[in-house]
Amino acid sequence: MAEKFEALEQQLELFIENTRQMGIIVSDFQPQGQNVLNQKIQTMVSEMNEIDKMRSQIDNVLVPMEVFDYIDQGRNPNLYTKDCLEKALAKNEHVKGKTDNLKRFKAMLLVELSKVFPNEMEMYRALKQGRGPT
Amino acid sequence: MADLIRRPEPMQSSPRSSPRDRGSRSPAYPRQDSSGTLKTTISLVPGKTPSVIHTGSFYLVKDIPDEAEITGSTNLLSYYNLEHSYNRFLNKKVKEELSAFLPHLPGNIDSPGIQDNSSLRSLIEKIPIMNKDMNQLSGSALSGFRLHPGALPEQYQTMNQMTQKKKKHKRKSKESEKGSALQLAQDISTADNPSAEPEARKNKRPKREDEPKDSKKKKKKEKKKKKKHSPDTAGTNGAEAAS
Repeated sequence: MAEKFEALEQQLELFIENTRQMGIIVSDFQPQGQNVLNQKIQTMVSEMNEIDKMRSQIDNVLVPMEVFDYIDQGRNPNLYTKDCLEKALAKNEHVKGKTDNLKRFKAMLLVELSKVFPNEMEMYRALKQGRGPT
Repeated sequence: MADLIRRPEPMQSSPRSSPRDRGSRSPAYPRQDSSGTLKTTISLVPGKTPSVIHTGSFYLVKDIPDEAEITGSTNLLSYYNLEHSYNRFLNKKVKEELSAFLPHLPGNIDSPGIQDNSSLRSLIEKIPIMNKDMNQLSGSALSGFRLHPGALPEQYQTMNQMTQKKKKHKRKSKESEKGSALQLAQDISTADNPSAEPEARKNKRPKREDEPKDSKKKKKKEKKKKKKHSPDTAGTNGAEAAS
């Protein structure tokens, strides 16, 4: 999997470099640069073909849509990963707090009910043990 | 309350037999999933009013589900071995700009994509034409790319517009890029035409030699102008006139 990405990355880098060189030639064009420019255009077409061939290898890669929003805003996509981790951690802590509080509430309720309804609570405990883990 | 009461269904017994003879634990009363249901039976003794008999001990006692492997209270970071990633992203500073993620990309990539219509969202919403062969351009098609010599207006020189961090090297890179444009064109053309190389170099040399001389002359003129108009010289001139 990583090899496919490396190959694609290399191909994209070649394409970008070719485009950059074309930009430099065009920004201050000289007549003797026409042939070079034509060659660069043909190279661009061949490199686009190479990139298109690699499409089938990375068809199964899923990318979250929110990452595209980050990139479109000119932000680092690593920030998306960071934000996801932070949200997951915050939600994890939130739910753990709820679970712990409910467990404490259950324990306190059992204690109080045992004080008020001792016989019924004995029957309840026996029933729970008979059925399975409490 | 009335909806919750479920009458026992004697599936295999004859309509003439009464539930009293069989008892509540006979096969005539199939045991179904009791979770969430009220354990009662209704006695339909002839001659007596029908009454509800509680057979179960507690109302709405459900079966406890099996404990799940992962719950919301599990430390998911350690469960999925993400502690290293967590330290990498949250303890170290992650730079805000896209250019920090892709430092070698030319041009200004930190600007929003909507400004120059290069956003990825627009690519997804309006999918371009695909599944067509990309063939090399013919000679006639390439003739459309014949350009006039000269520099582009500054507003169109996007290749020189790097991100702010690279501004210090911008001036140096501009000069080197302008020179490299000629070099690029010449290097590749000399590979095809070796005889053209010495002429181009001869043409270049005098220009390059002239440039530093011109700049020195300009600097000297500027220094002379500054000396004439400086406050010290103005003071001395005024003193001389008074005397």
